[in-house]
Amino acid sequence: MKKRIIFSFALLLALTLIFIVMSITAGSADISPSEAVKILFGGGSDDTSELILLKIRLPRTLASALLGGALALSGYMLQTYFHNPIAGPFVLGISSGARLTVAIALILAARGAILLNSALMAAAAFAGALIAMSAVLLMSSKIRSMSLLVVCGVMIGYICTAITDIIVNFADDSDIVNLRGWSVGTFSGFKSESLIVCAVIIFAALTAVFFMSKPISAYQLGESYAVDMGVNIKAVRIAMILLSSLLSGCVAAFAGPVTFVGIAVPFLVKMLFGTAKPLVMIPACFLGGGVFCIISDIIARTVISPSELGISTVTSVLGAPVVLMIMLRKNKERVRD
Amino acid sequence: MLEIKHLCAGYGKREIAHDISFTVSGGEILTFIGQNGSGKSTLLKTLAGQIPPLSGEMLIEGMSVSGMSRNDLAKCVSAMLTDRPKTDMMTCRDVIETGRYPYTGTFGLLGDADRKAVAEAMRLTDTAELADCFFTEISDGQKQRVMLARAVCREPKILLLDEPTSFLDIHYKLTFLEMLDRLRHERNIAVVMSLHETELAGKISDTVLLLKKGCCTGMGKPSELLDRKTLTDHFDISDELYEKYHG
Repeated sequence: MKKRIIFSFALLLALTLIFIVMSITAGSADISPSEAVKILFGGGSDDTSELILLKIRLPRTLASALLGGALALSGYMLQTYFHNPIAGPFVLGISSGARLTVAIALILAARGAILLNSALMAAAAFAGALIAMSAVLLMSSKIRSMSLLVVCGVMIGYICTAITDIIVNFADDSDIVNLRGWSVGTFSGFKSESLIVCAVIIFAALTAVFFMSKPISAYQLGESYAVDMGVNIKAVRIAMILLSSLLSGCVAAFAGPVTFVGIAVPFLVKMLFGTAKPLVMIPACFLGGGVFCIISDIIARTVISPSELGISTVTSVLGAPVVLMIMLRKNKERVRD
Repeated sequence: MLEIKHLCAGYGKREIAHDISFTVSGGEILTFIGQNGSGKSTLLKTLAGQIPPLSGEMLIEGMSVSGMSRNDLAKCVSAMLTDRPKTDMMTCRDVIETGRYPYTGTFGLLGDADRKAVAEAMRLTDTAELADCFFTEISDGQKQRVMLARAVCREPKILLLDEPTSFLDIHYKLTFLEMLDRLRHERNIAVVMSLHETELAGKISDTVLLLKKGCCTGMGKPSELLDRKTLTDHFDISDELYEKYHG
């Protein structure tokens, strides 16, 4: 058991490194791995290469890793919260809620009403994520069935998307230049300032979640067992919701909609590690989400280069089959019971 | 050890058990006996802190439960209720280890003392050979024993058991009671439980508490209370029916 966990962590770390190198060397400008390493450690010879690597490829790669990790972690928390393996930030409409508020913020900023910086973008997304999440939670007090609740989340997602579309339709073209590119979802065009804001938020959330792994492990067993173990279940629930909304809101603010990562990665990671213990799953999901998104991003920008696929196109192709697998497996379990 | 004064229990405004008072000392077993829906589970859930009491007082070693922290209370009281935990890729050992929760540190890792308590609980409940099986893949009776091991490894002062012998075959029913008897003597644990088998309750309990529609209709030594007349009255059984199947 312990060996498998150590091996799996080593594997994930190795994959992360390998794909980071692949990611910063892939592209139309030819930069070899050894040259890339030289530039990274301050021995670059060619100014153009250095610029491409440090200003374009590296931020993009790091953004994929960070935001991918955040999505996977957010998905893991939502699945634990709802005791449902197909709950995720996108399915429950949280990402769409965040998109809506970010769209509003972008338009207000374009009109000069507010000055938008990265932190404010994140705050807007977090607010939107929380609004969508509260709607789902309000329904969860009325609807006991988890699968119905997931459907409710999907509906809330559609409502948010529809409102976003209406707002975008009424906005001037100049207001929404930013919004267009952003609504397909991409890890490109990351400024280092945004990257730092993201990193601070995500690592703070990751640390908080990691320190909650003990109560989360109790929560996993079900409410009555958590109470028996002396857990303050209300506090744990609120913390889980706030943190997962913060994580997925952050992604929605800076990369737009990125689908299926939140569901596929926790499942794959669980299979790899052979355990669902939060103490292992939390860092593992974060690493796994990073790897998944770096790979997806490499595919997105190389398959039809010089043009680019939306990141969600790739994550859907890779992630949707995994979701199908989860449902088939669940069905098998039910038949066996 | 455990003192209950005028406890009313129920859900929200719906009061299910009314004005219940009793005392259990260390090493004693008190058993609730009553029909389905008489309030046994509601009472046990209230004692376990699952639902807040509507009124009344609960004292553990003279200390009011309402003044204790969740973690301290969890150290004193361990419950085995009727619902099963949701487990995901957890072995029986993993499930049993969750019983040590109030004693473990920030990350919930087990120390040597915790591992010793778990091993001891597994020995007592005869679950050692199940340790590495997935919890979802064992039988209901085996699950019951694993859940008991989980409750026992906490080394609580008070053990609450809701229908602990359901799902067990006759062999494990009797072994279970033997185990409970040993536990209370060796560790001086106070046990409060509900049982459907009145004969077994009569053999093991120091005190039985008859519950009918949420009210205590009698409390005392089993030899004084569990006679045929009281039982047929208490469970609304006609004489013919009793004769035919139970006499």
